[in-house]
Amino acid sequence: MHLKTLLLFGLLWTSLSVFSQTKSDSLLVHVQFQFDGANLKLNSTYISKQNDTLTFDKIKMYLSKPQLIYKNDLMDEKENPYHLIDIEKPKSQQFSINNTSKKKITGLKFNIGVDSLASVSGAMEGALDATNGMYWAWQSGFINFKIEGKSSSCLTRKNKFQFHVGGYSEPYYAMREMSIIFNEKSIKNNEITIQVDLAKLFSEIRLSETNAIMIPGKEAMKIADIAKNMFSVQ
Amino acid sequence: MKKLLFILTLSLLVFGGFSFKQIYFTPLYFEIPKGFPKPVYDFKNNPLTEEGFQLGRNLFYDPILSRDNTISCASCHLQQTGFTHVDHDLSHGIEGRIGTRNSMTLMNLAWSKTFMWDGGVNHLDVQAIHPITSEVEMDETLENVVSKLQRSEKYQHLFQDAFGTKKITGQLTLKAISQFVVMLTTSNSKYDKVLRKEEQFTDMEQKGYAVFKRNCASCHQEPLFTNDGFENNGLSIDTTLNDVGRMRITQKETDRQKFKVPTLRNVQFTFPYMHDGRFETLNEVIKHYNSGIEKSATLSPKLQQPMLLSDDERTELLAFLKTLTDKEFLFNPRFSFPR
Repeated sequence: MHLKTLLLFGLLWTSLSVFSQTKSDSLLVHVQFQFDGANLKLNSTYISKQNDTLTFDKIKMYLSKPQLIYKNDLMDEKENPYHLIDIEKPKSQQFSINNTSKKKITGLKFNIGVDSLASVSGAMEGALDATNGMYWAWQSGFINFKIEGKSSSCLTRKNKFQFHVGGYSEPYYAMREMSIIFNEKSIKNNEITIQVDLAKLFSEIRLSETNAIMIPGKEAMKIADIAKNMFSVQ
Repeated sequence: MKKLLFILTLSLLVFGGFSFKQIYFTPLYFEIPKGFPKPVYDFKNNPLTEEGFQLGRNLFYDPILSRDNTISCASCHLQQTGFTHVDHDLSHGIEGRIGTRNSMTLMNLAWSKTFMWDGGVNHLDVQAIHPITSEVEMDETLENVVSKLQRSEKYQHLFQDAFGTKKITGQLTLKAISQFVVMLTTSNSKYDKVLRKEEQFTDMEQKGYAVFKRNCASCHQEPLFTNDGFENNGLSIDTTLNDVGRMRITQKETDRQKFKVPTLRNVQFTFPYMHDGRFETLNEVIKHYNSGIEKSATLSPKLQQPMLLSDDERTELLAFLKTLTDKEFLFNPRFSFPR
């Protein structure tokens, strides 16, 4: 057999596989941070339902293993990757999910945070690389989400509040599974937007009392539960 | 025929890209000493190579890991003393900052399930993040370490050799450090040679071995001389540190003042002793277990009764402990500063 023939065939194969991927067989998911329904901007001032005046410096969170939910609640079974959403990196605020089925998509399932298996598996790559600053040092495990900012209600150094929520082992396993069911109209041109409204978190937190959570434990578990309220699809 | 062509093409595509770059790795085999258990470390996830080991060794001895490029891993983990820091009870970081604990030894880490005095770290690969980022140690970020390494031509080459890429990541940096430290096996002490029938204990060492087996071996289990567990060994609490040990990690009252049971291999040279380095000499350590135990709710059940050794027995025990010294390990040029 000629090497030339082989190479030609290989070239054909490569171009075919590249081409097939450009077909729109995936759902593009946008993640949009909001406060009370308006787009959230860093360093803008907001007022929570608890009457705390606050600004945000940092919002980073893992949305991992997203899966499509189809009609009759059948789940797409593929294991999808980890996404680190960072308010300062617009590119990180979207990801796509392969849609190989012709069935109607009725919802989206994902984890807020990182599962315990990944937390005990050593040094990881990509979104889970420890250079992303989402890995604890003195105690192993990922920080599922970081929300930092300032509020005059916080009697802390520079009025800072810091929520680093994580924990991979029971009874303080802080990852949360999230399923959002939506209707057809939510999907436009194979795109959908998940709104993450931080007002719904800060309506449940009194910043004068709770302003620094940096370790796994009961408090982190509580914040992780409340955090589920932030997610919705219009 | 079509199928064959397909497979050939596919394999050409998959392997073609690699073969052009001519990447060759030299596999390293991890030797399990006779009588040692199966290692905990999963080598499948981080296949050892000579190139990876040498990269890790370079990183271990390079102050580039610290914020002001002044201290390296080796600053607190010196080979000749079982890879720990002597002369200091509490270990030092950059700018003379002092931590709250005595640096641990680095030996036989392939058999360790948890790391640090409180076991807070669950995998060898993520261990190095702690000293790199700790304010009182290297006070650096892993992100910045990676960008410093990426700017270094030397490291671009070393990463290329070790992992086949010049694109340095946190994961590869950590895995390389693991490849070096996981190789630090010590198994050639006199004790080992006696077990292998290559040497013989003196009468005093033999008696000391018996004392050891009666009084110490339940926690300091042979052949690793640790059970990899956590115990409260009856030290009075140092009120300047108020270190609760394992409890900080598990948040369980039952873990108050429990610390990792350290290995006793090379113990002759790993002074000072205990998590806060409070004892300078092995004599003081033995005296503590003999009559200095402080009772508390979480005191190890194995230490409820004092040892009450005679002076002779104490001398014998000390003689045995010195047979755990492995000079071949402490002076192995493969583990020393890379030249």
